[in-house]
Amino acid sequence: MPVYDLEIPRGRSHEAALFLAEIDDQTRRLFQDLKGITAAELAWSPKRGQNTIGMLLTHLAVVEVYWLAVAAGRFTPAALKKSGARDVAEQEFRDVLGVGPDDDGMPLAKNGLPPAALASWTYADYRRLLGRARVHIAAQVLELTDRDVARKVKRVRLNGEHTAQSVRWILYHVLEHFSGHYGQILLLRHQYADRRKK
Amino acid sequence: MNSPAQRIVSRIVPEPGFRSHEVAVKVAEVALVHEQLVQAASGLSAAQLGWQPAPGRNTLGMLLAHIAVAEVHIGCVVLRAERDSDIMGVLGIRMDDDGMPLAADGTPPPRLDGEPLPFFADLLERALAHTRAACRELGDDVLGLEIVRPPRPDGSVRVFDRRWGLYHMVEHAAGHLGQLQALKHLLP
Repeated sequence: MPVYDLEIPRGRSHEAALFLAEIDDQTRRLFQDLKGITAAELAWSPKRGQNTIGMLLTHLAVVEVYWLAVAAGRFTPAALKKSGARDVAEQEFRDVLGVGPDDDGMPLAKNGLPPAALASWTYADYRRLLGRARVHIAAQVLELTDRDVARKVKRVRLNGEHTAQSVRWILYHVLEHFSGHYGQILLLRHQYADRRKK
Repeated sequence: MNSPAQRIVSRIVPEPGFRSHEVAVKVAEVALVHEQLVQAASGLSAAQLGWQPAPGRNTLGMLLAHIAVAEVHIGCVVLRAERDSDIMGVLGIRMDDDGMPLAADGTPPPRLDGEPLPFFADLLERALAHTRAACRELGDDVLGLEIVRPPRPDGSVRVFDRRWGLYHMVEHAAGHLGQLQALKHLLP
């Protein structure tokens, strides 16, 4: 009997813990949909300038680590007095994921090719990467309080632009961003299956 | 420091008028993802909305209509725990008019042929109004209650709760938003 519900972990804020249950559910479903995918399909692009599934999976890991670092205040103007946003991001991603902020290769130039470093990655490699990201952010999310969720965070973007987001929006964005690329991954799988039909 | 006019501020503001804070946040999220959908489709012509990349593949218009249909259905059978959904009564189109899922060699549904963006934006607005109405009186105490659907022809039974229904509305719309953005790049 298919049952659709969410197992909400115990956290300081119900709202933040619910987000974690939701993104874990998305990840579980994504992994089900990717079961058996080959390295060739992970590295396949419909045409130059378009993302591969491998790039999207790397991007998902990078983005969730990034936004939770933003929520934690690591990209506020005050926190960046001694180092630039790019340096902080580089350090954060290398420490947590073992890849840098640009290693997803996104955004690709119009005629760009997928990053060579990902060419040999297998599905197991990407699962490990996403697993590392999730373990890292889960600990942070479960420590967020309701007050934290309502808080607004100022951010200096990697290009130096100043923006502000509420932590509630950040949680929403990490989820909808994940879902959006998940939808694109499903689309790419169809395109890969159809690639010889013309 | 940039001037205030250049600052980008992103917030989810729980919508007022709901019994449950959790529901108010989710409704705000559904509203925001709808805004993103309409923004992503803005400027597209009726021909572009009806363009099919290959037989059996969805058009941008089909995706937009499908989101509206799915949300009204979830609103009826999950949030309101009704036996059936009244898609025609809410949206003015039938449940099958989104054309999804298309057969492997299927062509887009005739009902959507030639429809411009305001038609699809209106479907999304109607769906959101329906969701808001279905959510207004929901309390936290009913979000985790099991809703058991009538058996399907194969005998299987699906079980939902309202919390999942609200989450599904957001991730479902966001997933198709991602596809819409990707398909735009393929437009001839």
